[in-house]
Formats: sequence, structure tokens, C-alpha cells
Amino acid sequence: MARRFERTRRGVTARLDVEERELLDDLLAEVGVLLDDGTEPDADPLEAMVGISEGARTPEDPALARLLPDAAREDPEAAAEFRRFTERGLRQRKREALATARATLARPAPLVLDAAEAQAWLVALNDLRLVLAERLGLRTDSDAERLLAEAEEMAADDPRAWMSAVYDFLTWLQETLVTALTDELQRRDP
Amino acid sequence: MASPAQAEELAPADLTGLDVPWVTIVWNDPVNLMSYVSYVFQSYFGYSREKAEKLMRDVHEAGRAVVSTGTREQMERDTEAMHGYGLWATFAKDS
Repeated sequence: MARRFERTRRGVTARLDVEERELLDDLLAEVGVLLDDGTEPDADPLEAMVGISEGARTPEDPALARLLPDAAREDPEAAAEFRRFTERGLRQRKREALATARATLARPAPLVLDAAEAQAWLVALNDLRLVLAERLGLRTDSDAERLLAEAEEMAADDPRAWMSAVYDFLTWLQETLVTALTDELQRRDP
Repeated sequence: MASPAQAEELAPADLTGLDVPWVTIVWNDPVNLMSYVSYVFQSYFGYSREKAEKLMRDVHEAGRAVVSTGTREQMERDTEAMHGYGLWATFAKDS
């Protein structure tokens, strides 16, 4: 069983089982593939920053659309223009965070993160949860309550039961990381 | 002297659009943790814990909240940053 993220003198640390590390590695890799639009991940960041994706549209996969949402509700033209100018960079930054988190898993245990790595984990865990939630049909607060009630009734071999357990694990892990980082914020500016 | 109606029509803000404030709105969703949303408002916007938590509760309870105000360019930047954090944000002209 994992031990929560904690702030220590060496940085933010967590103890994870081998199975948990493998699970996280798989999920981080999968979401990285989901965000891959075929552009070079290691392209010049400046180029990515000014990178314009002419063909960018609201993704058809609702999970990807949740990671790369429309930026204007009542102005489709503004939303489309925003997407052309920002989507490439956003995809790249998200993929970098996922890759950074994966790289820390490749190091010997326990997980010890510097400030930048902790930020990458924070955002990566959130993106993992967004994708899983969409796959579980979790779109409103009442969906969340329903899922919680249903999960208790689900058969052990129901893939939704497994997904829901993974989602809970990620939620718990992210909550402990947010707590550790919020403590740090308070310490910095009391 | 122009009548109030005409004055409104000819207000410089309408001609240049520069003084018309734009807003960044964050929408409620069932995934983002309340603690996380509050952390993002503190660390990105530099808001106090009190202000960040109030905005977070507004998002949660009213379904949306205006989290920043400024020029369109600034609001686009804030929206892009919120998307980076996985928050569901949009920008719009303040109405």
C-alpha cells in the first residue's frame, strides 16, 4: 500500500509499491499517447510556443476534449482561433509533465521529487484523473455520487470496478500531493 | 453637447475596445479536487488562501466563477494556463 506524498527536507517524497509504480507508469504512458498529435515531443519549445496548428479542431474523443477544451462558449470563431494558436503548446506541455513524472518512476525508490518534478506530478495526476473520469462517464457532481454508490455493488471482474478503484487511488494520491504543496505555499508566503 | 445616448455610442472604449474588460471563467466539474483548484488559484494568480478558497467555493456552488479580469490578451493567457492545470476555463467579454 502506498504511503502518501510528504514534504521532507529532501523534497516531496512518496513510497509506492512496485505494482503501483507499474500502474502509474502505464497510465502516464497511455495519456501521453492520447495527447500525441504526431509532432516531435522534443521540438524546440520556442517553436512549440509560436506553433500554430491550422487543422486543430475540438477533439472527437471526449477525454481528449476534456484535456484540450474549447476556450470560448459563445464564440466558436474565437474558440477555434485560440485552439489554432495554443493547442500544440498545450499538448506539448502536458506530454512533458507526463514524461517528467514517468522519468522519476524509473529512479530507485523511494520517489523523491524536486519542485519542478512535484509540479509535473500534480498536473499529470490531474490529467490522468480527467481521462479516467470521462471514461467512467463522470461529468457532473451527481454522476460522481452515483458512481460512488454503484462501485460498491459492482462485481470484482467488472472493468468499471477496476477503473473506479484506480480513479480513487489517483484521487487520494493527488490529494496528498496538493496538501504537501499547499503547506509549502503557506510557508513561503505566510 | 451630445445626449447621454450619443455619448455612450461614441465612448472611446467602444471604438478601441481597449477599456472593455474581459474575464476568465472557471467552470465546475466533478473531477478537480477543491484543494487543487484552490492551490492553482493561489500559485498561478498569487491570490491569498482566503480569496482562492472563496473563488473555489463559488465555482463549486454557482457552477462558475470569474477568476480574473483584464485585456483579452491577458484573459487568453490565463485561460491557457488554466487548461494547462486541467481546469475547465473560458474567456469572454465581460457583460
